Amino acid sequence: MSRIIVITSGKGGVGKTTCTANLGMALAQRGHKVAVVDADFGLRNLDLLLGLENRIVYTAVEVIAGECRLDQALVKDKRQPNLALLPAAQNRTKDAVNPDQMKQLVTSLTATYKYILVDSPAGIEMGFQNATAAAKEAIIVTTPEIAAVRDADRVIGLLEANDIKKVHLIVNRLRPAMVQEDMMMSVKDVQEILAVPLLGVIPDDERVIVSTNRGEPLVLSQNISMAGLAFSNIARRLEGEKVPFLDLMAAHDDLFSRIRRLFRNSSRN
Amino acid sequence: MNDSSAPAPAILQPASDNPNLQVRFKSEGGRLLLLLPPEAEVSANHSSASKSNASQEGANSDSAAGNSPSGNGANTSNWNDLWQQLKQRLNAGERFWQPETAVHLVARDRLLDVRQLQAIADALADAQLQLKRVYTSRRQTAVAAATTGYSVEQHSPVAHLNQPSAESGQALADPLYVQTVVRSGVEIRHPGTIVVLGDVNPGGSVIADGDVLVWGCLRGLAQAGAAGNGQCLIMALRMEPTQIRIAEFVARAPEMPPDQFHPEIAYVSSEGIRIARAAEFSRIRLS
Repeated sequence: MSRIIVITSGKGGVGKTTCTANLGMALAQRGHKVAVVDADFGLRNLDLLLGLENRIVYTAVEVIAGECRLDQALVKDKRQPNLALLPAAQNRTKDAVNPDQMKQLVTSLTATYKYILVDSPAGIEMGFQNATAAAKEAIIVTTPEIAAVRDADRVIGLLEANDIKKVHLIVNRLRPAMVQEDMMMSVKDVQEILAVPLLGVIPDDERVIVSTNRGEPLVLSQNISMAGLAFSNIARRLEGEKVPFLDLMAAHDDLFSRIRRLFRNSSRN
Repeated sequence: MNDSSAPAPAILQPASDNPNLQVRFKSEGGRLLLLLPPEAEVSANHSSASKSNASQEGANSDSAAGNSPSGNGANTSNWNDLWQQLKQRLNAGERFWQPETAVHLVARDRLLDVRQLQAIADALADAQLQLKRVYTSRRQTAVAAATTGYSVEQHSPVAHLNQPSAESGQALADPLYVQTVVRSGVEIRHPGTIVVLGDVNPGGSVIADGDVLVWGCLRGLAQAGAAGNGQCLIMALRMEPTQIRIAEFVARAPEMPPDQFHPEIAYVSSEGIRIARAAEFSRIRLS
């Protein structure tokens, strides 16, 4: 049974595409046939993050228009043959396709692929509706910021109204040191508002920027980073495995920060 | 749509006063009535913040131009709003529907095509409810309903079912009980008391003509006595609202959140809106 999962957030720039690329790669590494679909028509990025830009010949728009076959548009990853990308058109806008076409297209991928990850554009307009049209479940990506959480909340409401009730949460770009200092929302704060099950927490990591610029997902690198490990764990949890959450706080919970917290709490009361 | 069929009373009364503003379920003699808001009201919902007469008139003139191509687009967004509301109400009431209850759809002056009627019927079927009958004042809707195979009753456009007259006072509707998280962007309006089992998140709002009772955390906007009754109350297990309104009074939450949260009740006193602990509320009111 194939799983069609949309990765969405409402707000832009919180890491949807990074999550799609890394989760797609991590699932493929675990031996599943995975298709990642870029639904961000006109502002496509997923190909860049996977380093597949120069191998795109046809896009989803041409498949929908009947100008090429589906397998001609799919770009196979050389490093990981289980992974394929269905690219979006760069020279069109979100209105180039409608939800019904998108639904048909994505559903036709289920014949070959076990996991189909749809990378949604930011916003809740046409592009979002296209991306969610075929999905049976959703992964919400948010950062621990009020604006991102607010938009994520709105998106969860819209997904629920569209009968996508299996919704999971990824908290991206957490900075444990700032949470310790009480300067950033904690994962618990985010969960308290969104009230959906947590799939994973990804720490803020400079190597994410390096990996996106190089077009090499983090999970591919030899000496794996915390963020890369977090992505692998999320992939395992998606498959239903129980994997304990990484203890991101441990490195920052030294004697000094404990004393600082003690003083801050006592001065508040 | 011609002018005579446009609901004139909508201009005379504030938006929240109209009991037909949102999709609503009402039980009557063992059946469920599914009441759809008239066309003009939903588009007025877009400009929800300003409830001035001007915005009402603007909305009405919008739907008066329903035949133009631009009016067509408004109709789709109208349907989208209606669809969202219907799904929200269905999801929020899930536990309470008895399987195979008959539903009568009161579509009023709303235009529904075959596909939309089928979508409504399917959504109801998912909740194990059965669409049986359609009441409408529009010929197209009646034809669509007949084609889809439901019994139809067509009324003349002026005599809306349950349409209240603007002059007389109205009794509050039965309380609305929803089990849901009222998320950002969701607005629940009801011409009676609203009980929410769940949180009201920032960006979400609950607007009642009666009381608002939140069995959960109130972080969004709550308005009680929206029709002007200052006796109405807002109750929450955890009161951290963005804003609360009772009748014509508006209040913000205090800048510093309290160390501990208790169930609290907001009411109108001589100095405006006050909040009291639920446990002490009856004593305050008596003294």
